[in-house]
Amino acid sequence: MANKWEVFVMDLGELAEGKELELTIRTLNDGLHKYTYQRAKVEVSSTLDKFADSLQVRLGRGQLSDRKFSIRVIERVERLPARYR
Amino acid sequence: MGKISAPRNNREFIEACVKSGDAVRIKQEVDWDNEAGAIVRRCCELGEAAPFMESIKDYPGFSYFGAPLSTYRRMAISLGMDPNSTLPQIGAEYLKRTNSEPVAPVVIDKRDAPCKENILLGADADLCKLPVPLVHDGDGGRYVGTWHAVITKHPVRGDVNWGMYRQMMWDSRTMSGAVFPFSDLGKALTEYYLPRGEGCPFATAIGLSPLAAMAACAPSPIPEPELTGMLSGEPVRLVKCETNDLEVPADAEIIIEGMILPDYKVEEGPFGEYTGYRTSPRDFRVTFRVDAITYRNNATMTISNMGVPQDEGQLLRSFSLGLELEKLLKSQGIPVTGVYMHPRSTHHMMIVGVKPTYAGIAMQIAQLAFGSKLGPWFHMVMVVDDQTDIFNWDEVYHAFCTRCNPERGIHVFKNTTGTALYPHATPHDRKYSIGSQVLFDCLWPVDWDKTNDVPTLVSFKNVYPKDIQEKVVNNWADYGFRGAKK
Repeated sequence: MANKWEVFVMDLGELAEGKELELTIRTLNDGLHKYTYQRAKVEVSSTLDKFADSLQVRLGRGQLSDRKFSIRVIERVERLPARYR
Repeated sequence: MGKISAPRNNREFIEACVKSGDAVRIKQEVDWDNEAGAIVRRCCELGEAAPFMESIKDYPGFSYFGAPLSTYRRMAISLGMDPNSTLPQIGAEYLKRTNSEPVAPVVIDKRDAPCKENILLGADADLCKLPVPLVHDGDGGRYVGTWHAVITKHPVRGDVNWGMYRQMMWDSRTMSGAVFPFSDLGKALTEYYLPRGEGCPFATAIGLSPLAAMAACAPSPIPEPELTGMLSGEPVRLVKCETNDLEVPADAEIIIEGMILPDYKVEEGPFGEYTGYRTSPRDFRVTFRVDAITYRNNATMTISNMGVPQDEGQLLRSFSLGLELEKLLKSQGIPVTGVYMHPRSTHHMMIVGVKPTYAGIAMQIAQLAFGSKLGPWFHMVMVVDDQTDIFNWDEVYHAFCTRCNPERGIHVFKNTTGTALYPHATPHDRKYSIGSQVLFDCLWPVDWDKTNDVPTLVSFKNVYPKDIQEKVVNNWADYGFRGAKK
């Protein structure tokens, strides 16, 4: 099943296409964990059917952007030091 | 001091509000995702009864209580007073109680503590098991703490701090929060924990008694547990945490325990704030790692929805900031006749009434106000004379527009302490909590001749003899006018 994600950016230029990015994204999938975050290596595309998952974008003060993307989550990045896990 | 019969916990407070018509029970299911927040916001903007939402989607057994103290009626109820009490009456009662002897808390056995009815530890302490609401659409996350207390203890002095620092759920066991560098917790972190690389134990208490929340919100030098006891007239019941040595209110609905991490930060915000805007930038902020969650059966989560006036952030903060400044000014022997912040100023403008008995009194007031611990929370001080009713905005505005000399009455203070939440501040100033403040001196200069230089106020109550005023008032209806006598 396709997943729905959201990201906050100050500038849409942060979502460069054709290369691997590391972003903080949150899930928009329904359920108890909706809106929880994770850090991940991803690839995004403005071609909406390029990747299975979708990405919604919000700007600095929470404004919803008109621009939509598809996204591929390559791998989760764990920044939390191991001693705290 | 006579016996106080204030609600002892959140549940008694809700019952008292329902009974007086100041809260409504909502039986139908409400969605935690925006709907609950929208209900609370609309209640704030309409000055409505507080919503007690008894059925939350996805979270059977939990409930919400929104806008707990966003009206003066509910503030009066929280103090055990008649809901029809006037603001000066409520203020006088607050001053009387907070000038009394401190009431020390008592520590009770865990078996007697309602907040220990359910205990989740370690990986089971998943914040998503709580009905954390998305308060405003577009917020940076679901906010765990909007009306609560973050409890910490100074590592050296040992003094306990209960502060209302907003907390966003980042993931199941991580929260991030806005902690300003000038706050008690901010100072403890920057002066002690962060340089040593040590974690700071914390506990978040949600669903506090309304007076405990009032104490957590008040910028008083009295420790919050004692202040709560003074306000309620009886000791606060505390109980020890499961995973650290902190003590928390035993009657709170939900307790979250953990550690503030010294070397790891996640993003927080944006969030709808008490100024009525989303102002502070999304940023990497203080990060709280969760080790335990304890909660009452059928726990009620409290929600404050900050935005345009008026919500409890504005109302209660205005109330307590004004009264704490009044105490400070009186302690310095300044002949103040009252201090008030209109909540609609989003607690940005302090109005001080004073007997103008000597030159420079307005400047002295401003310097004390801005230089005190209270100062970063407001950026305007307006000083009016004792003939102006500080609670009547029409009179205050008239005094400001007519007596404040543009050249001599407006004094700007530069490079002071501000907050990231000031909408008028530059992005740079927000980031570094740099402020600027202003005094509006609306007093007649003391070196003006009182007979010939000071203008005479032309109003019904000021220029007509008392007997004429009474005659006109008493004959008002006979003249053919409608309306009550005044």
